[in-house]
Amino acid sequence: MTGVTTLARMTAFAKNQWYVAAYGREIGRELLGRTILNEPIAFYRTESDDKVIALADRCVHRRYPLTAGRLDGDTVVCGYHGFTYDTGGTCVFVPGQKRVPRTARVRSYPVVERDSLVWVWIGDPALADPGAVPRAPWLADPRWTTVGGMEPIDADYGLLVDNLLDLSHETYLHGGYIGTPEVAETPITTEVDEGAGVVRVSRHMDDAECPPFYARSTGIEGRITRWQDIEYHAPCLYLLHSRIAPVGVLPEPDGSDPNAFHVEITYAITPSTDRHVYDFWAVSRDFAQDDEEVSTFLHDLNRTVVLQDVAALNVLQKALDTEREGYQELSINIDTGGLAARRILARLATEGEKTAPVVASP
Amino acid sequence: MSGTPTAEVYRIDWLPGTDVLHGVCHCGAERTAEDPVELWQWMLAHPTGHHPGGHHPTGHLPAGHHPTDPPEHQPNGHRKEPR
Ligand code: FES
Ligand SMILES: [Fe+2]
Ligand SMILES: [Zn+2]
Repeated sequence: MTGVTTLARMTAFAKNQWYVAAYGREIGRELLGRTILNEPIAFYRTESDDKVIALADRCVHRRYPLTAGRLDGDTVVCGYHGFTYDTGGTCVFVPGQKRVPRTARVRSYPVVERDSLVWVWIGDPALADPGAVPRAPWLADPRWTTVGGMEPIDADYGLLVDNLLDLSHETYLHGGYIGTPEVAETPITTEVDEGAGVVRVSRHMDDAECPPFYARSTGIEGRITRWQDIEYHAPCLYLLHSRIAPVGVLPEPDGSDPNAFHVEITYAITPSTDRHVYDFWAVSRDFAQDDEEVSTFLHDLNRTVVLQDVAALNVLQKALDTEREGYQELSINIDTGGLAARRILARLATEGEKTAPVVASP
Repeated sequence: MSGTPTAEVYRIDWLPGTDVLHGVCHCGAERTAEDPVELWQWMLAHPTGHHPGGHHPTGHLPAGHHPTDPPEHQPNGHRKEPR
């Protein structure tokens, strides 16, 4: 039968990848706990040089969460019996005795802070390449103004990937906010760059209704040319390049685009547990940069839209949890991008099972 | 992933005004379908069943055909796949 696929109950996690753990602003001199790919991790900033540290959030002694303890300078003191760890996770103090057992250490995770995001490497630390962190430069560029947040969802992260790769749902789930009839009606172009692990989905609407999200922020009255160009850097980073202009206004022949409004919508999809995903979202704009009212409007409206997705995916996951193993679904043209993303995620998950060759120590 | 572009790019265009999806493999092989599952299966089976240049089994065409050509201008052999 056409379009039918049989599904597993859970989207496999892809290890040996960078994941967004937090916004830089969320991590300071308080311990922050996040569970990423089922690994509980404690984050903090050092006092000495402001560096973000990520340690396994379980004390080696009795597995008390380190996030329930406290910071002492650059070290973490377990809140139960005082085992104290340095920034590399090595235990440097235990109570009552001078000798610290040699095996007393917690795992430390490679971290990169870039474009206002804190990325953590889940997998074999020997394979972590900071150069492979995908970029979202507008998040930390003074020419852009950004609002954002994070909403957790009680769902398999694959449901969020599916949701974001198929924006036709804007018309139905977000009608009156960001959705208009043209989104669901306009054909898409899908590209997969297999080597780079990138899926691109483009939808160019030549003559569309202007949804409130853009009407109120740009001040455009009347119909618009609306382009949505998605770039999904599997597994975590999703970029939606959004271009809004009065109908018929196109970029100049030299490639510049002074008469359009540009909005970069960034999502980070970070699997937490099998049934929990962190949905980081940010909206960056290159117009009305200093207008607080526009910032508040875009923040509140986009958060409302994200919460509509959260509610829908919570409901969907509950329903899927009552399905038998191997349930079926039906895909149509709008799913071309989502299907491509799933396939890349499956490949990355398989590749992530491999670990680095063990190098004999001298 | 770093996002560094590679040469291994697969593309599917949904032809405007139709329900038809048109796939182009990086090897130049092409095929149309009305089912994205079937089209991805064919596409990702590369090189199996992909014949850029040389023989042209039904539905597979060499590179050079522009994906946005209107359907009525498609060269012979480029037909809707049986469903
Ligand atoms: S559990 Fe951490 S010191 Fe005992
Ligand atoms: Fe949505
Ligand atoms: Zn091919």
